[in-house]
Amino acid sequence: MGMLIRIAWRNIWRHKTRSFVVLGAISLGIWSLIFLLSFSRGLIYNLIDNSIRREIGHVQVEHENYRQKREIGYLVEESARKVALMAADPAVEAVTRRLLVSGMVSSARGARGVQIWGVEPGEEGRVSFIREKITEGDFLPEGHSPPLLISGRLASRLGIQMKSKVVLTFQDLDGHITAGAFRVAGLFDSGTTPFDEGTVMVRREDLLVLTGGAERDPAHQLVAVVVHPDSAAAVRDRLTAVMAGDKVTTYREVAPEIALYESQIGMSNMIMITIFMLALIFGIINTMLMAVLERVRELGMLMAIGMNRRKVFLMVVLETLFLGLTAMPAGLILVEVSLAFFGQTGIDLRTFSEGMREYGMSEVVYPDPATDIYLRVSLSVVATAFLGALYPAWKAVRLKPVDALTKI
Amino acid sequence: MSMIVTTDLSRTYNPDTIPVHALRGVTLTIGSGEFTAIVGPSGSGKTTLLNLIGGLDTPSGGRVLVGGTDMSRLSGNALIDFRKNHIGFVFQSYNLIPVLTAYENAEFVMLLQGRPEKERRERVRALLAAVGLEAHMDRRPSQLSGGQQQRVAVARALAPRPDFILADEPTANLDSHSAENLLDMMARLNGEEGTTFLFSTHDQRVIDRARRVITLVDGEVAEDVRR
Repeated sequence: MGMLIRIAWRNIWRHKTRSFVVLGAISLGIWSLIFLLSFSRGLIYNLIDNSIRREIGHVQVEHENYRQKREIGYLVEESARKVALMAADPAVEAVTRRLLVSGMVSSARGARGVQIWGVEPGEEGRVSFIREKITEGDFLPEGHSPPLLISGRLASRLGIQMKSKVVLTFQDLDGHITAGAFRVAGLFDSGTTPFDEGTVMVRREDLLVLTGGAERDPAHQLVAVVVHPDSAAAVRDRLTAVMAGDKVTTYREVAPEIALYESQIGMSNMIMITIFMLALIFGIINTMLMAVLERVRELGMLMAIGMNRRKVFLMVVLETLFLGLTAMPAGLILVEVSLAFFGQTGIDLRTFSEGMREYGMSEVVYPDPATDIYLRVSLSVVATAFLGALYPAWKAVRLKPVDALTKI
Repeated sequence: MSMIVTTDLSRTYNPDTIPVHALRGVTLTIGSGEFTAIVGPSGSGKTTLLNLIGGLDTPSGGRVLVGGTDMSRLSGNALIDFRKNHIGFVFQSYNLIPVLTAYENAEFVMLLQGRPEKERRERVRALLAAVGLEAHMDRRPSQLSGGQQQRVAVARALAPRPDFILADEPTANLDSHSAENLLDMMARLNGEEGTTFLFSTHDQRVIDRARRVITLVDGEVAEDVRR
């Protein structure tokens, strides 16, 4: 075996230029595959995280009819007690409650239909990322006039700016139309166009007064983020047991597209690895077939003097494996260097910013390599090298020494 | 004692299209320790005879017995193993393994046989010294002259102590000085180790050294002279 290894290793350096070209191709293949998979995973988790941190959290509690009908009357009662129950769960990191009404925001220049969020800034800031997305002003500060947080994009459409007055018109809890004046106290940019153009935020207590629910302590949504997303289902089950009449759901149920994205990561990885293996396998077959065909005479001599077919086969397979195993560290080093760089700076996709905003993605994507991706790609390279070696090795052992020895 | 026996040996190429009769009923007996040359014009069947005796080719008729073993009954890896353990080959164009040194080339078949390292080392060093390449054992074939490469090939063929050595035109690519050296060396090893040598050759110098000369013409034995 030692002799076979020695011959196989030296054989790959017989044509240095050719070997370096093949090694370079495999290394670049490994780099591009892992980088692409990390980028695509970063992109999808960016989308998922944005959805969770912008709006839906990991676990939601709502009236059992609210999600279908979205009517103001479907409330979670005793919201403070239920928030405390949720916060007491050890897997829960933070909880907030929201009063949500559909209405109209009007300025001197125009009006837009929006969803009005009545939030508690302190808790909301721990559950969602909206506090970090404020570009001007503060997150609903206390003051004389009821404050309003609006996106810069919507403010611009309404022709308003900081400290401008707007009027919110909506239905109260009894079904009557009501309205209130608010002053713009902050502008935000969530990075998601539909959200920015369709949402304004006010303090929950201000909205409770206008809707007539101040004495009932109601909310439409109780939203929690958990420490580990995988524990969301367990938290849902525990809360369901203590919240009769309310519906407890996880982010996967609220936004099934997220579950789809998560499941697609695995599938798209498999597809990309398969494409990579197919491209690599033909390159390897080509190279090794060339290596076998130009050594026909030598292989014939080896079999003539006593090297059996199993050893000849093994020698060709070993040569191919050595090519893959030599290229692998180089490819992995390239991956590490580029991921270290782009992990710091991110990949700036501002050129596609409008499209990204429509889908709720950030303009800068950070590649996110899965822990098992190195192992999977490395095993794929070894498996591909092995499979790619089979045909050339088979060609080698099919040679008849008497014919091979007379080949020029 | 008979080392090689061929009985009514024939080989026909392209039997179904345009048959070429390379050998026609050759019957020969080569004894142990012989130093025999097979001569004849091009196309007379010298290489074909050597290939059949060496188990590299299959006869169309007749049979080859090597040390009592019928070669036609062996196939695949059994035949390869038989060659490894009983036959040494020296080819016209040396056919060394280019990525191995002279020492490693000479050691190669012994490694395939699984001989112990100490035995290999002693045998290979002794043979390389005998062929005058002790100082060049770390060189690869590309760093050796044609004559030196052919001497490494002889050392490789002798190292596993085969029953006999088949040498197909061993001096064809050598200058006269290298050819004489090689023949001296092979004659000496034949004398010292009693190894049977069977050459195919055109070279008069080889024919002059041979103790038996078998002449083939059109695939048949035309003359068999012992000296």
